[in-house]
Amino acid sequence: MISFTNVTKEYENQTALRDITFVVEKGEMAFITGPSGSGKTTLLKLIYSAEKPDEGTISVAGFELDQLKEPSIPMLRRHIGVVFQDFRLLANRNVFDNVAMALRIRNMPEREIKHKVYETLKAVNLRHKADSFPRRLSGGEQQRVVIARAMVADPTVLLADEPTGNLDADTAEGVVRTFKDINARGTTMLIATHNRDLYRNTGRKVIRLEAGTLVSVGQG
Amino acid sequence: MAPYAFSLAFQSLVREKWINLLSVFTIASGLLIISIAFFAAYNIDAATRKLPEKFAMILYLDDAITRDKVDGILGTLRKKSAVAQVRYISKDDAMKELKALLKNANYVFEGLDENPLPDSVEVRLKRDAVTPEQVRKLTEEIAGIKGIKEVDYGEKFLDALHSLKSGVRTVGLAIIVVMAIGIIFVCYSTVKILFYRRTEEIETFKLLGATKFFIRAPFLIEGGVIGVCGGLGSLGSILILNYVVIARLSSAVPLLATLLFPLNLFLLLPLIGLFLGITGAMIAIGRLQY
Ligand SMILES: Nc1ncnc2c1ncn2[C@@H]1O[C@H](COP(=O)(O)OP(=O)(O)OP(=O)(O)O)[C@@H](O)[C@H]1O
Ligand SMILES: [Mg+2]
Repeated sequence: MISFTNVTKEYENQTALRDITFVVEKGEMAFITGPSGSGKTTLLKLIYSAEKPDEGTISVAGFELDQLKEPSIPMLRRHIGVVFQDFRLLANRNVFDNVAMALRIRNMPEREIKHKVYETLKAVNLRHKADSFPRRLSGGEQQRVVIARAMVADPTVLLADEPTGNLDADTAEGVVRTFKDINARGTTMLIATHNRDLYRNTGRKVIRLEAGTLVSVGQG
Repeated sequence: MAPYAFSLAFQSLVREKWINLLSVFTIASGLLIISIAFFAAYNIDAATRKLPEKFAMILYLDDAITRDKVDGILGTLRKKSAVAQVRYISKDDAMKELKALLKNANYVFEGLDENPLPDSVEVRLKRDAVTPEQVRKLTEEIAGIKGIKEVDYGEKFLDALHSLKSGVRTVGLAIIVVMAIGIIFVCYSTVKILFYRRTEEIETFKLLGATKFFIRAPFLIEGGVIGVCGGLGSLGSILILNYVVIARLSSAVPLLATLLFPLNLFLLLPLIGLFLGITGAMIAIGRLQY
């Protein structure tokens, strides 16, 4: 579902990723870990084509990214839900509209959107906050809005960048449970995290990065 | 078009109401100036349109010219392509016409035992032949015909009329073109400002998988709406100008009452606004990287 082959990504002054090769199979739930600055976010950005690799090839959900033309990028992104590390919530729209936006860009009819959004907000325990604006929410609540927006459109692939960064252990567990549910429905997941609790003793694939190089692909 | 594009457009129109109102006001002013320029040109054109039909050349013939020669001259004149109608007026007919014209002042003719009027030919030209150059050329040709003493036409009048008409047309057109470009530029700048004030949102839309069309359509709609509103504003202003201001002033200045107001043409103003607004918006989004 996701495959990297000898991928290198350089920013103006440094190499963020060097010669990365790995595969995440369809329906798999995998993790990326590594210290701050090791390249986790960069790797996810390459997947949803917010950045382009300097070398190597990437394929995601059947799209060969090096052959992907500008007008097809939205089609790729509609297969991918992203929990952004910096949230990217729209400050002037309430929780409902923030989540609904993922469906509106797909031109889904409003009535279906209403149904879908409330259902998803219920899954992350935020049904009662639908009319709140992001800056009135706690960090953990905002995080869950972002998760809801990433999953609302039933993407083929769900990427999560530090999805429990702002959550206490209990809430984090709730999120993990939600992720497992999504994964159980067949969604391929790739989760970047510092939080060992998320993958420890799960037997799932863990890709470890250090300073832009892949040091190991093991089991949690 | 996706209905949500309209929703996004109207959200932005409301959120940025001051910028938008300012643009609408500017566009309305520009279109009002265009309307006034057009109104003036239209009326001057209408006032002078009928004049060529009244225009006639009078050829005075030599004294004691024979009827044969007159027929010859008439034949020559009729063959000229610019000529629409030729009418021979004998000196006796001319006197009759004059007497009919002055029948309440018959004393003018007392003691006149000989008709002092010459035989003449009245030449009417085809409408599109009444230009200073063509009339001058024709005059030269006619003056060369044997038996014609003198050619008379309102030369100065024709010249003045003509330069007035082409002057009004040129100035009117220049104002309209400059103002239309100005309006497109206003719409262009407005849409660009609206766009830059929403770059963060647009960036997020793109990451969620929005197409170019989804991102751009609201701006086209906004440009169109701003243009239409400007058009409606100018239409309202020109209606007030005509039906209130000019209507009131015309009791003091009777000439104003004769002005023609082509209402059905002015009703196109919102449409013109729409066109200019969308054009400006298209230029703006065409130049953006999104
Ligand atoms: N847009 C950019 N321009 C230049 N350098 C960048 C850019 N984005 C990231 N980097 C650099 O690339 C390296 C990898 O960054 P990245 O964000 O992928 O790390 P990360 O593993 O996600 O870190 P964290 O755990 O803190 O989120 C960092 O050294 C960072 O400074
Ligand atoms: Mg990161």
